[in-house]
Amino acid sequence: MSFLVAAALGVGLFVAIPIAAHLLRRGRARERDFPPTALVPAARSVARERATLEDRLLLAIRALLIACLAVIGATPFVQCSRLSLTRSAGASVAFALVLDDSHSMRALAADGPRFERAMRAARELLASAREGDAIAIVLAGKPARLALAATTDLNAARRALRDLSESDRSTDLEAAVGLARTSIASVPHHDKRVVLLSDLAGPALSEAEGQPPLWAPVPELATPLENCAIFAAERRGRRIVAHIACTSPAAAAGRAVSLVGDKSGKPVPLMTRGGVQELGLDFDPKLTRAELELNGGDAQKGDDRCPLAAQSAALGVMVAADVSNASAETGGPPVLEQALGALESSAALHPIALLPDDVNEYRSNALLLLDDPGGITPEARSALGSFVEQGGVAVAFLGPRVEQTPLGATLEPFVHGAVHWESKGNGDVNAASLAWLGPEASSLQDLNLHGRAGLSTTDLLGGRILATFSDGQAFLAKRELGRGALFTVALPSSVEHGNFPLRPAFLALLDYFLNEARTRHGAAQSVAGSEWTFPLGASVSINGPRGPLAVREAPRASGSAHKAATPTFTGRYTLRIDDKPEERVVTVDPSEITTLPQKPPESATRARASANAGSVDASPELGFVALALLSLELGLRVFRRLTRERGVTSAALRS
Amino acid sequence: MSALRKALDWGKLAPLRLRAKTVADGVYAGGHRSRRRGAGIEFGGQRSYVPGDDLRFIDRHALLRHGTLLVRQFETETDRTLCLLVDASLSMSYRGEGAPGAKYAYAALIAAALCKIALGAGDRVSLDWLGGERTVELATAGGREAFERVVGALETAQPSADLKSDLPALERAVARVERRAGRGSTVVVLSDLLDLPAGAEVAIGALGTRGKTLSVARVLDPSEVDFPFTGPLHLRALEGDSRVETDAAAARPQYLAALEAQASHWSERLLSRGGSLVLLNSAEDPVKAVRKVLDSVGGLS
Repeated sequence: MSFLVAAALGVGLFVAIPIAAHLLRRGRARERDFPPTALVPAARSVARERATLEDRLLLAIRALLIACLAVIGATPFVQCSRLSLTRSAGASVAFALVLDDSHSMRALAADGPRFERAMRAARELLASAREGDAIAIVLAGKPARLALAATTDLNAARRALRDLSESDRSTDLEAAVGLARTSIASVPHHDKRVVLLSDLAGPALSEAEGQPPLWAPVPELATPLENCAIFAAERRGRRIVAHIACTSPAAAAGRAVSLVGDKSGKPVPLMTRGGVQELGLDFDPKLTRAELELNGGDAQKGDDRCPLAAQSAALGVMVAADVSNASAETGGPPVLEQALGALESSAALHPIALLPDDVNEYRSNALLLLDDPGGITPEARSALGSFVEQGGVAVAFLGPRVEQTPLGATLEPFVHGAVHWESKGNGDVNAASLAWLGPEASSLQDLNLHGRAGLSTTDLLGGRILATFSDGQAFLAKRELGRGALFTVALPSSVEHGNFPLRPAFLALLDYFLNEARTRHGAAQSVAGSEWTFPLGASVSINGPRGPLAVREAPRASGSAHKAATPTFTGRYTLRIDDKPEERVVTVDPSEITTLPQKPPESATRARASANAGSVDASPELGFVALALLSLELGLRVFRRLTRERGVTSAALRS
Repeated sequence: MSALRKALDWGKLAPLRLRAKTVADGVYAGGHRSRRRGAGIEFGGQRSYVPGDDLRFIDRHALLRHGTLLVRQFETETDRTLCLLVDASLSMSYRGEGAPGAKYAYAALIAAALCKIALGAGDRVSLDWLGGERTVELATAGGREAFERVVGALETAQPSADLKSDLPALERAVARVERRAGRGSTVVVLSDLLDLPAGAEVAIGALGTRGKTLSVARVLDPSEVDFPFTGPLHLRALEGDSRVETDAAAARPQYLAALEAQASHWSERLLSRGGSLVLLNSAEDPVKAVRKVLDSVGGLS
């Protein structure tokens, strides 16, 4: 603080003058000499009370007036802390607001929810924008989304900001920052910046030093808060397994989990440690739509309850592979199972020896992987068909056994008719036809194969060829059936028949199948922000904890379209897919709880300091306030004079 | 100009000497007939004889004709002594808004004018005080020098002293006037009658006995007459320690009623002793005020 600031603010000390004058005058209503005082009766003065009130009002006005003048005098040295944009030489700026709408932003800090504080900061920044400034808004909840492309239309920006709301999504800050930088990359403004309004509860930003620079104007968002949450609850037999995440041991201390409505059950205390923990509770079969609850309080009350999922949260994958043929020579489980284990840790693998004859046996599974099937019996075929029609995904890796189908068994519904095993086929997969899989597709060149299944277009039952060998023969075919899909691969997953399972593309294919299964079947439990997809022709209605959820038509990467819905809040959702009811539970990503807020990147802090704390000169407003106070005092004085004159006139009339 | 004149708020009433002469000139004054009946030249009527009457004035003709003892009465032009008793207590120094000067200044002007008129008519004048500082009591005297002495004494005096609880001081002043004023004298008391001790009306009323004519001129400031204040008030008496916090609008009717009641009380007490009360407002024309005083003592009749 310079001498000028101190001197200007010192003027504020003159506030003491009217206060002292008021104190001196208080209670002494114009004492005057009057000889016949003995003849004057004492009277409680209404006028005095009124005058006292008026005096106090005048005192307040004068004190405020002096304070305003002091602050105005100190301007521009003293500025209020409202956020605003600083400009180099008054030029227009382009800024992308990265607003974190993840679950952790719903935590209740001392001055309200973090998200509200971030929104307030965004509104203040937007209020300081001028004509010509370009604004983009990016949401950092997973997946990162562009809420408003860079525009100079400030009204559109205000509307977009007004429409934003909090959610229980995960954090995708890295992608959001990238998206923000991209969104303002093309605008012609010289001064660009990315404004980070996040608690930074996620992985550290790897490109914090990139351009345009980051600016974190509200570092208090990253203040750590204590929180525990039940992020998943599933039934396993007669037990309930609750998955709980806590920010720290202190957050977990003294808290317990109980089943809502189960008065006989005893709450199960949490272990006093941070991170993720699992607790088991007894299941009360009388309770329908059961919910688990954490007692006590923390920064987020909303995640202390979690509905019980009807099925396991893990994606069920059935693997039918012959251990003797499909395993590596070094032993162990079949290659398929090993690959899945390496790929999807959360998948629940169910190895089976025979295909189920009953569709109910497929329950809680979303994916069926068949290695070198030797034929499918009619019962198994029927059950498989039903499973796929209800949203299941089945994949058949065809091998030499396609020629050994017993009587009455076929390879339907994958392919129709007899399939021949070609001992010597072309060893290369056309990488271009498999380009949609990603860069791993190129790893399928120069394969060392002992044979392949000969798939011709007439065998595919209307299926579509997704990839071919270099000679044009089908390598991967897909057939839609109801809500599900059937995939046929012309190679087996056994290393005995070639090195296809050893190539990265094999894992990429498996990942693709898992995603398809997850998308089509729909996990009984999913994380908020995950997209649910449905066949284009299906009739879908969804009711969530906050009312109906919109179902939209969305294009796929392959060019086709499907219906999709994205639940953004945790809770129980009731779906009706082609009049068949279904229940899903949306939970919060545990990393939203366990990942503590990080300090803003150093460059963002530096940017903040150099931007003069984003403060704004409030002297015009203060000037108006001072003027208003002056007018008020004048008005009050005129009023007092008028009332006094009226009093004199009436006294004279009475006399 | 003396230091005392600086202390007293004479206002528009200074200089006293000139103002008093102007006021006296404005008042018709001439030889006044004495109401005293007794030995003289011009027959003034008869009355029944009472024991003690001078036997020289028994009307023999009436006794012979009617057989009744009557006494002849005569009117005679005679000198009357004017005894002025001026209140110089602290309350007389008050001057409110709209008044030409302090109450004492107004009373001094009236006293000086009366003095001028009396001396002009050949009467003699004395001056006494109620309270005050640097007061000079003047014995009965006549002639031009007497006027100068009276005016000088009026100018020198400074309103002071708290008579509120000093009845002996008041009685002493009254006793001095009593001694100076013989039968047929006119006593004029100039006072605001405020903050006087209890029993003051009895002591002052006694001046109207023994053949003397008493007129008490109550001099009030316009603000004391009208109570023109508004809003909250915090009043303090000049004598005594009376303080009142009040609301002007609420207190005004009661104050005016109390003032009138006090005046009525004084008037009744004075009338019972042959005296009279004259109400003077220091804002009114001094000539009219002097006439009112003269009317009360029968000077113009």
